[in-house]
Amino acid sequence: MSSLIFRRTFLYALAVLCGGIGLAADAGQALFATACGACHGTTGEGGRGPNIADGRLVRRLTDDDMFRSIQKGVPGTEMAAFPFPDDQIRQLVAYFRSLSAPAFEADVPGDPEAGAALFYGKAGCTGCHAIAGRGGLLGPDLSSIGLQRPLRRLREAVLEPSARLTDGFLPVTVTTTDGRRISGVAKNYTNYSLQLLDDQGRLHLLRQSEWRAVEFSRESPMPADYARRLSGAELDNLMAFLSRQAAARRN
Amino acid sequence: MRPLLTLLVALPLAAQVRYEDLVAGPGKNWLTYFGDYGGRRHSPLSQITPENIQYLAPRWTYHIDGSRKLEATPLVLDGVMYMTASNEVHALDARTGRRIWLYRDEQAKALKVNRGVALLGDRVFFVTGDAYLVALDRRTGGLLWSQPFADPKLGYGATLAPLALRDRVIVGVSGGDGGVRGYLDAYSAATGERLWRFYTVPGKGEPGSESWSDFPAEWAGGATWMTGTYDPDLNLLYWATGNPWPDLWGKPRRGENLYTCSVVALHPDTGKLEWHFQFTPHDTHDWDAQSIPVLADLEYQGRPRKLLLHPNRNGFFYLLDRTNGQYLRATPFVDKLDWAKGIDDRGRPILVPGKEPTPAGVRACPSMRGASNWMSPSYSPATGLFYVPSLEQCDLYVTSEKIPAAGKGIMGGGGEPLSREPGQFFLRALDPQTGKRVWEVPMTGPGTMWSGTVSTAGGLVFYGDDDGQLIAADARHGRQLWHYYMGQALTASPMTFQVDGKQYVTIAAATDVFTFGLVEGR
Repeated sequence: MSSLIFRRTFLYALAVLCGGIGLAADAGQALFATACGACHGTTGEGGRGPNIADGRLVRRLTDDDMFRSIQKGVPGTEMAAFPFPDDQIRQLVAYFRSLSAPAFEADVPGDPEAGAALFYGKAGCTGCHAIAGRGGLLGPDLSSIGLQRPLRRLREAVLEPSARLTDGFLPVTVTTTDGRRISGVAKNYTNYSLQLLDDQGRLHLLRQSEWRAVEFSRESPMPADYARRLSGAELDNLMAFLSRQAAARRN
Repeated sequence: MRPLLTLLVALPLAAQVRYEDLVAGPGKNWLTYFGDYGGRRHSPLSQITPENIQYLAPRWTYHIDGSRKLEATPLVLDGVMYMTASNEVHALDARTGRRIWLYRDEQAKALKVNRGVALLGDRVFFVTGDAYLVALDRRTGGLLWSQPFADPKLGYGATLAPLALRDRVIVGVSGGDGGVRGYLDAYSAATGERLWRFYTVPGKGEPGSESWSDFPAEWAGGATWMTGTYDPDLNLLYWATGNPWPDLWGKPRRGENLYTCSVVALHPDTGKLEWHFQFTPHDTHDWDAQSIPVLADLEYQGRPRKLLLHPNRNGFFYLLDRTNGQYLRATPFVDKLDWAKGIDDRGRPILVPGKEPTPAGVRACPSMRGASNWMSPSYSPATGLFYVPSLEQCDLYVTSEKIPAAGKGIMGGGGEPLSREPGQFFLRALDPQTGKRVWEVPMTGPGTMWSGTVSTAGGLVFYGDDDGQLIAADARHGRQLWHYYMGQALTASPMTFQVDGKQYVTIAAATDVFTFGLVEGR
C-alpha cells in the first residue's frame, strides 16, 4: 500500500516536473521574443547575435553557463547583461534547450523501418544523400543528421528544400575556357576560385582564369513536391528514420 | 600553350590512394604524416632551390576558428589538402586554401590536439580527442564509420595521425602521464572492425612482466601517442612507446619497466612482437621515446645496413639494425646531458648517481621536454645528413614520492624549468655514419616550440623555429637562406608538395595554415 502511494506521489511529482519544464520553455519563448529576438532573431536563428536554434552554441554550454551569460552578459562581445529575476532566466535557458534539441532526442512518431524503406526506395533520397557511405555525394551526408538538426528543421528540409540551401551544396554549372560544361555543386566559390564536385564524385578545383562562365541555381536540386508525394504517415516514418541517424553518437 | 595548361589544371581529380602510392613515398603528393612510411620527411621536389628561395612568398593562409595549437602535418592528394584540428578535418584546395568540406565531430567528449589524417583508397582516417577512429569519404567528408578504441573515463585519449597500410589502419593511445596501459590497435579500413591489439606493458605472467615488481599493468603507461613508421619489405611496424607511470616516482615499479621508453617492432598482420629495444630503462624523467623511429638504408662500418635512426628525449642519438633490433651505436646530440656517462655495448645507459628526482628537486639534463621530442627530424639521402631539432636545457626534477590517483593526468612530480638556465633550441645536422654534428643553427625564442623539419632534393631543409618563423637553410652547410615570421608559436612540422607543376611549402602555426610558393614568373 505504502509503496503504491509512494509510486503515485512519485509519478505525480514527475508529471508536475515535466510539465513544469515544458511550461518553463513556453514562458521562456514569450520572454525571448521581447528580450532576445532583436539580436538572436525571432526564431532564434541569429542576426546580430549568434544562432541559438541550431544547437551548435547551446550544446557546448551548460545551463549554468547560459544562465551566467544572460545575467551578466558575455565580456568582449555585444551580448549585454539581462538581469532578469532568476526564474525568468531559467525559463529562457529551458527554451534554448527545447529549441535546439536535436531530432534524435525528440519524441518522433512514425515507423523508422518503414522510413528506411522510403529513404532507400520510393523517395529516392540516396540519389544525392548518403548514410554510412551508402548513397550519393551531391547532397549533405546524413549519417548523423539526427544529432545535427532539430526535428522541425528536418521536416522543413524535406518539405521546403529551397527554404535554405546548405553551404557547399549550391548547384552550379561552369563553362571552362576550353569550352567544357561541368555541372555539380559548389563546395566553395569566390571571385577567384571555384571548388566544384560533379555528379560523378569528381572534384574540379578551378581558378578564375580557367572558367568563362559560372551559373548558380538558387533552387535546391531536391524535389520540391514531397508534401504531395508522401502521405502524412510516410512523412512521419521518414522523420522517424532520419531522426535516428546518429553514427557519431557516444554511448 | 594556354589551352593545354587549362586542360591540365581543369582535369577532374578522381584518383584513389593505393597502398603502392604510400610505399612509393612523396612526390607531388604528400600522403602520410611523414610523407613516406619510413619517417624520413624527405621530398624529391627540387623546384625551390637555394638560388631562387628569395622569391618564396606566402600564397594563402587558412584560419581554423577556435584552434589554439595546431599540431597536424597536412596531407596533399592531387591538389586537395587534408588538415586537422581538434575533432575536425578540413579538406582544402591546396592552390588557394579554400575549403572544400569540413567534418566536425560535435559529439566528441574531449578537446585535444591532433596531428593529422591518414589516406587510403577513397577514405580519410583521423582520431578524435576521446579516442574514436573515424573514416570519412575523401570527396565529401561524409561519415563512413566511427569506432571507439579507448575509454576516456580511464584516462585515455588520442592525438596521433593514424597509419594506414594495405587493408588496415593502425592507431595508438595517449594518457600515459595519468596511469593508463598503452596499446596499439589495428582496424579494418573497410569496416572499422578491430583486427588486433598489442599491449606495450605485458600482463601478469607474460614475458617482460618480471620487469615491473608487480606494479599493476593497467596503470603502467607506455602510451603510443605518436605515429609509427613501417618497412614494407620487412613487413614490420616500428612504434615508439611512452614513459612508465608514475612518471617521476620510480620506487613502486622497480625494474626496467618493459616495454616503456622503447621502440617495438611488430608484425602488422598479427600485432605480434618481433623485437624491442629500450632506450631508457626504468625512466624517472618522463623521457617518452616518442621521437620518430626513422628508417634509412645506408652504409655503416663498410656495409649496407637497414638502420633505424632515433634521436631520443634522453639526449642520445641511437642507431639500431631494424631487421633485428641490434644496438649499433649511441652518441650525445646535446651538450646538456648529465644523467648518463654514455651508453654501453649492449645499448644500456651508464648511469650517473644522484640524478633521480627527489621531493626537494634534483637538477638533471636534458629537461623533461627532452633533447628532442615528437617534432619531426628529416633524413636526406642527397646529403646523407639527419636534421634534428635539439633542445639544450636542464630541469629541476621533483617527485611527489607517492602513487597519484590513476586516470587523472597526474604524473607524480614534474620537471621545473631553471630560471637561470633558459633552454635553447638548435637545428642540428647529424652524420648517421659517425653520430657527429656536421653543422648547427642556434634559434632564438622561449624554448617552447614543437616544430620539425622537411628536407628537399632542391638542397634545402625547411624548419619551424622557436620564434614563430619558417626557415629555409642550405641542407649541406646550414646557411640560413630565407625566413618568414608568422606571428604565432609553432607546434607542427612543415611539408612540401606540388600542384600543376608548382612546388609549395606548408606549415601549420598555432591557429592558421600557411602555404608558400615561388612568386609567378620565377
